[in-house]
Amino acid sequence: MPLAESGPPMADRNTFRLMLLILGVVFAFLYIPISVLVGLSFNEGGLPTAWTGFSTKWYGALLENDDILKAAGNTLIVAVFSTLLSTILGTLLAVGVEIRRRNGKWLETVIFAPMIIPDIVLAIALLSMFSLMGVKMGLHTIIVSHVVFNLAFVCAVVRARLKSFDWSIVEASADLGGSTLNTLRRVVIPVLMPAIIAGALLAFTLSVDEFIIAFFTAGAGRSSITLPMQIFAMIRFGVTPEINALATLVMSVSVVALALSQRLNKGGLPGQ
Amino acid sequence: MNGFLMSTDRRPMLLMTPALLWLFGLMVVPCLLILVLAFFRRGIYGGIEYTWTFENIALVFDPLYFQIFMKSAGIAGLSAAIACVLGYAAAYAIAAMPRRHQPLLLFFAVLPFWSNYLVRTYAWIVLLNREGLIVNLARWIGYEGELPSMLYTEQAVVIGLVYNYLPFVILSCYAPLSRLSPEIAEASRDLGGSAWTTFRRVTLPMTVPGIATGFVFVFVLSIGNFVTPALLGGGQFQMIGNLVYAQFLTANDWPFGAALSMVLIAVMLGLLMGQAVVAERASGGKRAPDG
Amino acid sequence: MSDAFLSIKDVNKTFGSVHAVDGVSLDIHENEFFALLGASGSGKTTLLRMLAGFEDLSGGDVVLEGASIAALPPNRRPVNLMFQSYALFPHMTVAQNIAYGLEMDRLPRAEITSRVAEILEVIQLGHLAKRKPDQLSGGQKQRVALARALVKRPKVLLLDEPLGALDKKLRSEMQLELKRLQHEFGITFIVVTHDQEEALVMADRIAIMRDGGLLQVGTPQDIYEAPETRFAADFIGVMNFLPVTAGDQGFVARDGSVILADRVNGTGGAIAAVRPERLVLGDRGQNTLRGTVTNTAYHGLDLLLHITTRLSDTPVIARMTAEMADHLRPEMGQEITLSWSAKDTHIFPA
Repeated sequence: MPLAESGPPMADRNTFRLMLLILGVVFAFLYIPISVLVGLSFNEGGLPTAWTGFSTKWYGALLENDDILKAAGNTLIVAVFSTLLSTILGTLLAVGVEIRRRNGKWLETVIFAPMIIPDIVLAIALLSMFSLMGVKMGLHTIIVSHVVFNLAFVCAVVRARLKSFDWSIVEASADLGGSTLNTLRRVVIPVLMPAIIAGALLAFTLSVDEFIIAFFTAGAGRSSITLPMQIFAMIRFGVTPEINALATLVMSVSVVALALSQRLNKGGLPGQ
Repeated sequence: MNGFLMSTDRRPMLLMTPALLWLFGLMVVPCLLILVLAFFRRGIYGGIEYTWTFENIALVFDPLYFQIFMKSAGIAGLSAAIACVLGYAAAYAIAAMPRRHQPLLLFFAVLPFWSNYLVRTYAWIVLLNREGLIVNLARWIGYEGELPSMLYTEQAVVIGLVYNYLPFVILSCYAPLSRLSPEIAEASRDLGGSAWTTFRRVTLPMTVPGIATGFVFVFVLSIGNFVTPALLGGGQFQMIGNLVYAQFLTANDWPFGAALSMVLIAVMLGLLMGQAVVAERASGGKRAPDG
Repeated sequence: MSDAFLSIKDVNKTFGSVHAVDGVSLDIHENEFFALLGASGSGKTTLLRMLAGFEDLSGGDVVLEGASIAALPPNRRPVNLMFQSYALFPHMTVAQNIAYGLEMDRLPRAEITSRVAEILEVIQLGHLAKRKPDQLSGGQKQRVALARALVKRPKVLLLDEPLGALDKKLRSEMQLELKRLQHEFGITFIVVTHDQEEALVMADRIAIMRDGGLLQVGTPQDIYEAPETRFAADFIGVMNFLPVTAGDQGFVARDGSVILADRVNGTGGAIAAVRPERLVLGDRGQNTLRGTVTNTAYHGLDLLLHITTRLSDTPVIARMTAEMADHLRPEMGQEITLSWSAKDTHIFPA
């Protein structure tokens, strides 16, 4: 077995063992808390004190909790609409930016900012604006707010694909008689499709998981509460078997969407 | 130019306009708004009085609040430092594995980062809880004495922050490590450097931008965080994020909340600039022009 | 204009202050295989892209069969381009790639199918019709790109370095293949290349470009045998250059001997030129040179001798057939006498 084909040199077998140990510790740190959570969600007794048998009854309990079902419905609405909007806007932005090539620094900053701006700042800024403008807040304000960061992530994923895009196929399409619309429809978008879908899946996950901005832009009352808001409220009352089950479900949705996204898009996620 | 989608075509701007308008209206304008808000007076019954003042900014530096600020910075700094040590070690170890295994290892290192933040934080409540797994484990191995409360402490908050942001540091450190040509380190060994000297004098300096990026991001995300202190700190102490939250949702002092956010943004921008300097130094200063 | 099929009239292209193409006028005939030959930066690719419609003209006009096409967008020109990178659509199969241009012309489905099948036969890739481009070899991609442009039966087919990405052996096969296809389809081909050998082998006529302008236009024989400029002489094939001074008796070489020449280009002759294959052994011609063999390079069919003389700083190169070399067995350090006739001497100004 080759000790190292790349990266830092491996001095000897002992160093290699040390590296395996480090990986073991870090992966244990990353996965034990989540695994415990998942394990407990299937514990019949529901308590961490003892394993009393495998059961899915806590998942059944979720289905009878109207608050959770309502929150899940709201989350789905928010995620679907913000994903649709941000996928369209983000893809067009990415294509435009990459065609122009020479983009000013301000433009790059504006596109990059939504990904790094602290959630709490964007959240209070949006809250301030909506309330000063007298906008009635609800699911619609959560949706438009989620589009802000989602479109930046979609744009980043699509741009990564465009970096290796062979623009001469656009010229080839025009040369063979393709109009602007035909070139977009038959050449550019099909070639970008894996990246667009990967970006959309990422946006969907981010939207399903997002808590702070939703919390601030949902408006008063319980009518537009989302799943993360519901989870937050429940956690504050303490650990319950229902939360374990709900948390496991929410996590599975993200993991499946992300794994799909990664599979579709060989270019990887932003930052990779 | 006649052809579509080419560099001098005006249409790219047309494609970008909807998204840019969106970002302008729902990010730039609101952020400018709170910038302005930070310089208005708080109304007597909450609300905003439209007269200019520097009081809010001054209040941020009032000992009462400045102490919270420093405490947040301390917790954020500690979390960022721990995350960098762990993250760098993990990234180094991944980069040392056979190349064909690296993408998968990296994928699993980053996967938790993309799952729900609340859920990841909640998982630590389950572990650290008075009736939680760690306490149970201690009882099980026969420890009978009184156990110090682990949840609702500063340590719990630091653990939570490190846990949540570690994958990001692994990513940012892995990028420069994987680009490092093994021949450079081999050259150092060949010239007589020991493994440790080679790491300290060659590998580490060349990969410092990755650590800097990781540190800045963990710091920025931590100092403004309010979920982790709220859930794992249990209201025992406040961080800047909680303070901002309180100004908007309970104390109803928006101008002060806005001023706090502005300081947060200023700290973030300062750190990002510092990080850019580190990155440039490590790449050997300004690049020579091509050709 | 007489029988010009495609007429390029005083065409200019400037990028900022750079003249990429500078006042080029050229008439290309129907069914001609025409080569634009030049080094990179000579403007040949810009000129080709203007013909395809991807670059606006800064000045001048392009007339095809009597009608200007200069203002038409690329998708409305009866001209197709085969891209240097091939630019195959990665998400479409070979057959779909080839059908694309016909679909854009809204031809009936049945006709598209039969024309695609027909051209796949011609390029001998029928068995790969359902493959995607990244499952093809370089040579196969090249033929698909060619078929995709040819199937539209354009009036003019433009080819941008069509054989540039192929290895040497495949390249020489494809040179003949391109010639055959051009003949079979009866379409005007305009090829851009930096490879002089390729141009000589394939083209009916060649235009040598330099610094955005035309240096010389002619048949391969014209250009090889009668280069009008020192640059053209040097660019095409191998040429020996001997510095001379123009005197009363004629052109005097460095060693004081007089060089006789029938072909004098321009005035103020300063350099004489002669092709390696025109040098013969012994004192049998009007011009003679003596020197020492300092190197020999074996090329299979022939042998190149490098001979250091007093006539120039660089060694003179002479070409001998393998047969002659066997007979003569030249050795390093051997003194040798070569001669050539006045009709093979070219004189160029400095």
